[in-house]
Amino acid sequence: MKAAEVARAIVSTLPDARCVSSLGTATSAVRAASGDGPHFYLGAAMGSALAAAMGVAEALPDRLVVAVLGDGELLMGASTLWSVSAYRPGNLITVVLSDGGYAITGGQQLSAPPRFAAVAQAMGGIAGLRVGSDLELRHALCELERPSLIEVELTEREWPGPSPFVDPAQVRLAFGAGLAPVPPA
Amino acid sequence: MANDGRQTRATDEQRLDWQLAVADTLTARGVTVAAYVPDTRLQGILSRLEDNGVAMRSLTREEECVGYAAGQRIVGQRPVVLMQSSGLGNALNALGSLAVPYRLGLPLVISMRGTLGEANPSQVPLGRATAQLLGALGIQAFSLRAAAAAGPATAGMLTLAFDAGECAALMLEAELGGGREGG
Repeated sequence: MKAAEVARAIVSTLPDARCVSSLGTATSAVRAASGDGPHFYLGAAMGSALAAAMGVAEALPDRLVVAVLGDGELLMGASTLWSVSAYRPGNLITVVLSDGGYAITGGQQLSAPPRFAAVAQAMGGIAGLRVGSDLELRHALCELERPSLIEVELTEREWPGPSPFVDPAQVRLAFGAGLAPVPPA
Repeated sequence: MANDGRQTRATDEQRLDWQLAVADTLTARGVTVAAYVPDTRLQGILSRLEDNGVAMRSLTREEECVGYAAGQRIVGQRPVVLMQSSGLGNALNALGSLAVPYRLGLPLVISMRGTLGEANPSQVPLGRATAQLLGALGIQAFSLRAAAAAGPATAGMLTLAFDAGECAALMLEAELGGGREGG
């Protein structure tokens, strides 16, 4: 699959979900697939996207939240998997775009195969699965017990869409629009 | 939930007045979740927050606490991040390239090491640099040294974060006691 196809599968299979996307391919792909929908696009802070998604998921317990992460991104913040395992937000799906490289910096290879699905499966409390096709991905998005981690094998590197250099103010305001207001303390 | 974040609790006798004031002010101002990395001086605050019904999230790394709190803030919730000054270095990227540019207004409570009475030389450089590091990112940091100021200082820091939308930090200095500078 290509990153753009992964994002399109997420957005069309779970249209009411909110995505939290990491810098680079993931943010570009979700922007393209959703037409700049109200998602939390990270424009930097590599290593923090899964933690941010966990925060969103626990703040929006009635809504599905999908962390869309590059594999290099998740390596930088992999310890958050242990926190997901500990607190187990039941509305959090993590989708890893697994191509073995750092796309945003020019495609340099990761030093070791990440094997995130196997790691997630081993730690308990996270259902981990590696998929390679659109059909498998859509099935996993709907059917895997949550929290889940779906590692999608990318077979083709192709820049998926618009720039990942988002306007933070615009992202923040768009994300909040449409959410029920939080009552003042 | 598999783990409610419970940890070794401070007894009521071990809690200091300023710790109770910080925790109760956080709670009164609507903080609903605390993302933290454990620390001795923070313990009395953490246990009081838990007693007050605040959700406790003991996370693996300070950067992760900032990321988690950023997710809470973009939804409009009121988290607090608590860490030791030695962990600030771990959090700088998430602060500087997420919390600050997105204007998420995170309140930070930082237990200071490396200052008065510090016996561990490895704690000193980051403790000495804490306010400057935060300042370089545009985050105002306020030192709390006297128990009587704990409530007002916490409230003021929260107003900056939640009302003005600016990340702000309260630095819990050694003069307050409750830490382990000598150990």
